[in-house]
Amino acid sequence: MERRRLLFIAAIISVLVGVAAFVGSARVPPLQIIASMLSTTLAVATPLTLGALCGVWCERAGVVNIGIEGTMLTSAFFGWTAATALATFTAAPAGLCLLGGVGAAVVSAMLVGLLLSVLAVTFRVDQIIAGVVVDLFAVGVTGFLNRQMMFEHGGLFGGVAPQSAGVMPHVRIPLLADLPVVGPIFDQQPIAFAGLLLVALTHFVLFFTRFGLRVRAAGEHPRAAATVGIDVRAVRHRSVLIGSAIAGLGGAYFTLESVPSFEPLMTNGRGFIALAAMIFGNWTPLGALGAALLFGSAQALQINLQFFREAIPESLSFLQQSSIVGLLPYVLTMVVLTGVVGRTTAPAADGNPDDGRG
Amino acid sequence: MTALLRPLLVPVLAVFTALVVGAGVIAAAGASPWDAYTGLFQGAFGSARALSETAVWATPYIFAGLAVSLAFHAGLFNIGAEGQIAVGALTAALFGYGLPRWFGSDLPALVHLPMTLLAGVMGGGLWGALPGWLKARTGAHEVINTIMLNYIAINMVSFLLNGALKDPEPGNVIARTPLIAASAELPTLLERYRVHWGFVLALVLAAGVAFLLRRTTLGFELRAVGSNPDAAAAGGIPVVRTTVIAMALSGGLAGLAGAVEVTALNHRHELGFSAGYGFDAIAVALLGRTHPVGVVLSGLLLGAMRNGATRMQFLTQIPVDVISVIQALILLFVAADVIVRKLYRLRTPGERVALTRGWGA
Amino acid sequence: MELRRLVAATAGLTVTVALAACSGGDRPARPAAAPGSAAASTTAAPATPKPGERPDCAQPEVFCVGVVTDVGKVDDKSFNESTWRGVQRAQKELGAHAQYIETTDPKDYAKNIATFADEHYDAVVTVGFALGEATRAAAKQFPDVRMIAVDQFQAPGQEIPNVTALIFPEDQAGYLVGALAAMVSKAGKIGAVLATDAIPPVWRFGEGFRAGVVATNPKAELNIIYHNDVGVDRTFTDPEWGKTTAHSMIDKGVDVIFGGGGKTGNGALLGAAEKDVPAIGVDTDQYFTVPEARKVLLSSAMKRLDDGVFDLLKASKDGSIKSGNVLGKAGYAPFHDMEAKVAPDVKAKMDALAKSLEDGTVKTGVAPVKPNP
Repeated sequence: MERRRLLFIAAIISVLVGVAAFVGSARVPPLQIIASMLSTTLAVATPLTLGALCGVWCERAGVVNIGIEGTMLTSAFFGWTAATALATFTAAPAGLCLLGGVGAAVVSAMLVGLLLSVLAVTFRVDQIIAGVVVDLFAVGVTGFLNRQMMFEHGGLFGGVAPQSAGVMPHVRIPLLADLPVVGPIFDQQPIAFAGLLLVALTHFVLFFTRFGLRVRAAGEHPRAAATVGIDVRAVRHRSVLIGSAIAGLGGAYFTLESVPSFEPLMTNGRGFIALAAMIFGNWTPLGALGAALLFGSAQALQINLQFFREAIPESLSFLQQSSIVGLLPYVLTMVVLTGVVGRTTAPAADGNPDDGRG
Repeated sequence: MTALLRPLLVPVLAVFTALVVGAGVIAAAGASPWDAYTGLFQGAFGSARALSETAVWATPYIFAGLAVSLAFHAGLFNIGAEGQIAVGALTAALFGYGLPRWFGSDLPALVHLPMTLLAGVMGGGLWGALPGWLKARTGAHEVINTIMLNYIAINMVSFLLNGALKDPEPGNVIARTPLIAASAELPTLLERYRVHWGFVLALVLAAGVAFLLRRTTLGFELRAVGSNPDAAAAGGIPVVRTTVIAMALSGGLAGLAGAVEVTALNHRHELGFSAGYGFDAIAVALLGRTHPVGVVLSGLLLGAMRNGATRMQFLTQIPVDVISVIQALILLFVAADVIVRKLYRLRTPGERVALTRGWGA
Repeated sequence: MELRRLVAATAGLTVTVALAACSGGDRPARPAAAPGSAAASTTAAPATPKPGERPDCAQPEVFCVGVVTDVGKVDDKSFNESTWRGVQRAQKELGAHAQYIETTDPKDYAKNIATFADEHYDAVVTVGFALGEATRAAAKQFPDVRMIAVDQFQAPGQEIPNVTALIFPEDQAGYLVGALAAMVSKAGKIGAVLATDAIPPVWRFGEGFRAGVVATNPKAELNIIYHNDVGVDRTFTDPEWGKTTAHSMIDKGVDVIFGGGGKTGNGALLGAAEKDVPAIGVDTDQYFTVPEARKVLLSSAMKRLDDGVFDLLKASKDGSIKSGNVLGKAGYAPFHDMEAKVAPDVKAKMDALAKSLEDGTVKTGVAPVKPNP
């Protein structure tokens, strides 16, 4: 079942990459296009993967999290502010400022996660509403604080555009990074590598450790878990915090790894695409990674279709409109949810506030 | 009397608490909370024009708040009001400028305007019915599908406004439809003010939704499915049909919000309008405790805040984002009424109703 | 029973609203703001009074300027901010009293302009193409208020006496940097990453750039990619997309990047900097707004919004202001750190080209607005 889904994802990615290579073959060697598609796909997929992992952690423990968008936006803001403040007010080297920024991003994301889990787990507020609260809060608070930091007299940076700490440097894995076509996989920035590692780590912890078993028990059968002595609430709190910390890395990607600046609403709905990726990936870390790569390759294809627009016949020219290719992740997610390509199964007690305490 | 007022207690305290915390935020931003709130109040209620503008702002909030509430009563969480508004606005604009062209002659307003509004209802309704049908048929959760449909709507509307439906007037570069015909315009209530019949329509529909939910068989079936679908099915209520109808009605109300904005205010659909009504509608519905009267009150409150924000900024020059912070706080205190109850030492009610079910169930 | 309650509640609501209406603005605001409530304990410091209370703008000697932004903020590092900087200069040098209102929804354009006009502000600056219709309507409603309409081209024959539109020859600035890009590119592959062609100034920058490239090197491969898939409110604020798109171009051999359109364009400049590819910015001299891209920033296609706004405010104050369209200054920014890498003959050609564009011997051939297909 799981393998079938991963094969399905791999097949679609191959088709998308193939289309790009075919369309552009008149102007650029296909191998170069494939390498470019790969590198764009990986870049776009990084925050989606991290956001989707957050979803996996929360929902495997039975807590629906639609606040991923807000968590990433908040951590993008605090990560950038901390790194820039360090760079502006201390003599610390850029690398240290960036690390401080990542730390701040993760901590702020965990605080947001704490808000969610206190609402959803302790107060048993409807989990979806708790997520909406998180999202609305993030928009308001980051917009407001960003303004206070940046603008006019009295702001943290005194109203001038501060010199940021830059972005994370690329890490090249020797030899492997020089390989043709697949080279880009081994020449990425730290958070992108961390995303891949965290997928493996999440997979391992969830499915091969005692803690993972407890998390899944809390998400599948909280009442039964409680009767065998698992503190369902504690497990859920922990899972939400772990997941949020990972989403914090996803937020840090925007302002510390991609571009060295913060912009209100800059996550632009990617937290919701991450949510879709988690569902598409059937609540598993590997599936989430696959889905994130799939959505990433859709965006990569759209950029390439615009680049090679002269090669597209007039009758198909609507395809290069970003709004059409941009539909792909959402439509695919809906199709997958209907069960046409293998049924998705959420954890049985996902969204269920029951924690076995009556 | 007390029975009538009791449900107001928590929302009112939530708003009060949010405003108090908001005052702290404003002070921290270096402005006087007194000036800010005075400005907010003046801007929202201080003159005839302010009142009119508050009603204008409240209108889409009431429609969309009713939409979300109606779905809640059927146990469904409609996060898709945003997309339904966009689709409703687009179809209304299309009928508003297109109908006379297709008929080849002008239409009387008596025919054209209702058809235009109905087009908006149908557009939003179909956009809402789809996730309802998917939910009932395949179990695909409406929350995720309505979120997906929001983005699909935004992309599709953007595609159409940049292409087939784009205003062909020479010199136009904006992604927008042509102006609708005068016969499709929803008139204003008063001369010189923008408050329009859409506001009245919103109030009427609030009463209509209340009637539907309490007095009709369909309303009973909706609530039965909402409280326990298995029991409803066992009792012979067609769950699939009811779910689809609930989402269609909900989407239709949201679509009407878009259609009224088009026919009464903008007279065309333009890319970028309706930033965030869908999410605000959730706050409206929850603050109004999903009761139609509550939705009207909370729609007016949020509309007043958005409207008054202009004058607040004019007087104090603080960022308008403060309003978003206060709004989020209101939602927080309403959603987690435990906090409010602890703060003001209120008794906790005996039963607590979960509004939605997770997608695992 | 239920229905009666509903009616009662609605009636109560109506009475409340009516009461609020009668009470007027001098009534104390909400209880939350009352001194001595919990607010007092949470507010750390008493708010400082605004420097200089609001003056009476109706007085002839008091010069009041209001700014209405487009949906966006005055600190957007783009046209809203540049305008506000021009207004701030008027504050300092002309002693003007200035305030802004940030629009959150297009339906508020008219209301926001009227907020200033009602208070007898002397000049209202409306920022952005989208406010065009609202500005013209307000100008007719308030004939005593000078409207300074930034980026709102007034069609010939339809000028309004109290509307002065500030427009820029963005196509010329684009043309200049397009020529520069074509001269600097070794591979003859040039890329432009722009926010959206739905906004006329952005489109003119892009088309001017195209014309400049083609005129200089007809064989050059030029790719312009717009971020049209998101709403107008988001298209300027997606640096991550800008960077990804620039990288994708560079991967395929593009060796000069033109990035334009708020933060989205800035993202493209940053992407170019990361790959060490020469980049060209837009609007202001981006050497100062994107310091991270300094080492690769060749130049910027500039429009002097702040100067233009200031000049018009000055003219408005001394009464010499004209109606209709006023053309602001546009040009290209200095090479800064790239000074040494630009060949002397390229510099000479750029100088000559700038002169020819100014005196009209070279034309960009770009229409003031995008023609429809």
